[in-house]
Amino acid sequence: MKALVTGATGFLGRRLVRDLLDERVDVRCAVRPMSNTAGIRDFLGTSRWSGVDVHRVVLEDLDSCRQVIQDCDVIFHLAASLTGSTATMVLNTVIPTRRLIEAVCEAGTLQRFVHVSSLGVYGTEKLKKGAILDEDCELDPHPDRRDPYSYSKVIQEQVIWQAHREHQLPVVVVRPGVIYGPGRNGISSRVGLRLGQLILRMGGRQKLPYTHVDNCANAILLAGIADGVAGQAINVVDDRLPTGRELLKWYRRAGHKFFTVGIPQWALNPLSRFNKWYHHWSQGQIPAVMTPYKSQALWKPLKYSNERAKTLLKWEPGITFDTGIQSTLADY
Amino acid sequence: MVPTFLHYRIAEAGISKVVQNPLIHRLKVGGAAFETSFDANMSTHEKKLKIALVGCGQIADAHLQELKKIPVADAVAVCDLHADLAQQAAVRFQIPHAYTDMQRMLDEVQPDVVHVTTPVPAHRPLAIQAMQAGAHVYIEKPLTIDLAETEAILSAAEEYGVLICPGHDQLYDPIWLECRELCQQGVIGNVQHIDSMLGYSMQGPFGAPIVADSNHWVRRLPGGLFQNTISHPLYKITEFLTDQNPEVWATWFSRSTDIPFPTEMRVHLRGEQVTGSLLFTSTTKPIYRLIRILGTSGSLEVDLNAQVIRHDREKSLPGALEKLDVPFWQFREAARNLKRNIGKFLRSELHYFAGMRKLFEQFYTAILDNGPPPIAYAEIRRFSGLMDEIYDCCRDGDSPAKVSGHRSEAESRVMESSTY
Repeated sequence: MKALVTGATGFLGRRLVRDLLDERVDVRCAVRPMSNTAGIRDFLGTSRWSGVDVHRVVLEDLDSCRQVIQDCDVIFHLAASLTGSTATMVLNTVIPTRRLIEAVCEAGTLQRFVHVSSLGVYGTEKLKKGAILDEDCELDPHPDRRDPYSYSKVIQEQVIWQAHREHQLPVVVVRPGVIYGPGRNGISSRVGLRLGQLILRMGGRQKLPYTHVDNCANAILLAGIADGVAGQAINVVDDRLPTGRELLKWYRRAGHKFFTVGIPQWALNPLSRFNKWYHHWSQGQIPAVMTPYKSQALWKPLKYSNERAKTLLKWEPGITFDTGIQSTLADY
Repeated sequence: MVPTFLHYRIAEAGISKVVQNPLIHRLKVGGAAFETSFDANMSTHEKKLKIALVGCGQIADAHLQELKKIPVADAVAVCDLHADLAQQAAVRFQIPHAYTDMQRMLDEVQPDVVHVTTPVPAHRPLAIQAMQAGAHVYIEKPLTIDLAETEAILSAAEEYGVLICPGHDQLYDPIWLECRELCQQGVIGNVQHIDSMLGYSMQGPFGAPIVADSNHWVRRLPGGLFQNTISHPLYKITEFLTDQNPEVWATWFSRSTDIPFPTEMRVHLRGEQVTGSLLFTSTTKPIYRLIRILGTSGSLEVDLNAQVIRHDREKSLPGALEKLDVPFWQFREAARNLKRNIGKFLRSELHYFAGMRKLFEQFYTAILDNGPPPIAYAEIRRFSGLMDEIYDCCRDGDSPAKVSGHRSEAESRVMESSTY
């Protein structure tokens, strides 16, 4: 089997490449022309790295996409922008996906297209507190009310599903929660808002949909090789999920210094309404970082299911939260 | 001295008439009368201008956000080659129409004004296409690739009887208006020199994509990264340095082995009465947008990011007392700035793109009143030529020895002028 991995130099991508190589899969990595490959080379080690076929391509270019997918049986599409304005995110996430899909549909020979999406694509407005978020929930119907990352990921998924419907693209969509692990700060926006050394902890008792990067890479690999999963969306979160309070305690115990102000759940909606009103009244003097819509999407207490991943992929998150956070903090 | 830009406005915009309007309220400290008169004029216009925008990249967000605040502006359409980009702009800013074909947009929407916010190489053809359709055109900085393209745009504007406006929006930034007012009042005497500094992050939202993409359009500009960035610091110098052909000394270089194109620029300009220095740096922190204006009896330092203006004057106390006088004076200036900014915050007046909004308003007023454009065409032409000269100077020499214009002794004198 020959696999193409986009976004291979990233935090998740390099682990997936490692796992694929360990499974004796031929791996081709699509990396940007100016992308620094020293990180993935060091991570994989010289022996593994020598077996990787590196293609420097601009995925926004259709001809480049046509060339890079040649002879590939499976594509793992991880490339996406993590920061920037909405326009930048669309340019770097949605448009390369369109080009890649166009090339794949033209070729018509691909056996599996594994698209790595995000748990953030769900619309949770209609879910009640404590409800279960699983793969049957709808994509966010109003991604424009969310942050640029969520917007770009929702639109990207729409492109993928359109290709599945219209061109029978054998797609599997993996939707990981917040991916943490050595080399990345685990305090995400799901915990709260960071203002310099101050963290506004939102709620604090709700479970956070986290997954360790190694667990996540393993799930993505399985999505590329498991039988009978084409056309499925699969959430990836670990078994035992931390709360925001717990996560911050881990960081404090490890010696990290920051101030925390806890905003209780009952105060989130009024504060969000005030932020939205003030943003509108002041014509944008303060950004609308908290609106009721954004707040419920990030901080509403929900239960997260990984049953489908376990059933269809036979996936088990091998690294527990306690083990995972310790290795993360040791490296951070 | 009255800066050329301001002089132009006073001479050609009938300012004295505007000032007599009882609806006008002058700013307490700064803000030229022509600028504050806008709202009063706008309220008299019943017609709304149909605005279309082409090029839905990052800066388009700022345009659409500011457009929404202007009563006479009705944003009706956006256009981009990428449907996804056009769509995201339309959805997020509630614009009724999104296009991927500029001509179709012009035919169907028939906008009064088109904002061109594409990469620079597309400015000239798109602007002329819009003008042919009878639209006035606002063009993001930098206006064009070179003076020849600028001339083509200005000729087209004349031929089709429409107005154009380059995106020199920081000329209308509230703190810059205050600075201009103070200069006009003679607070620092005659202006002798301007230091204009622009900090830039190659890891920031605008710099990172240029570094990441070896084929990025910015890299292919004649002036590279600087062509896309130095307009803002440069026009703050040329507002005071009014010579048609000042001496130019310029160099560019890189301090990073990882980035294969120049990321640092130094420019010195010498006119008959005034000199100027431009410093573009991508390696220092904090990232400033700072201008220091040195006059015969004092200086002003303008921090655009912080919206702070610091006045300094000749020290009046002798010896050790000066060591007390100076920090006390600085404390007073800081207190004045703090008080002013608290007031502005409470009145919701602290907006990063406030200058852009004001320039839009000026441009729309000119259209509605059949008045002159907010930035004179002669100034646009002079500025474009000077940009070309700076890049030529850097390219020709790629060493500090090159000076355009009549060099020699003057060079060393200019070199001695103040820089940060």
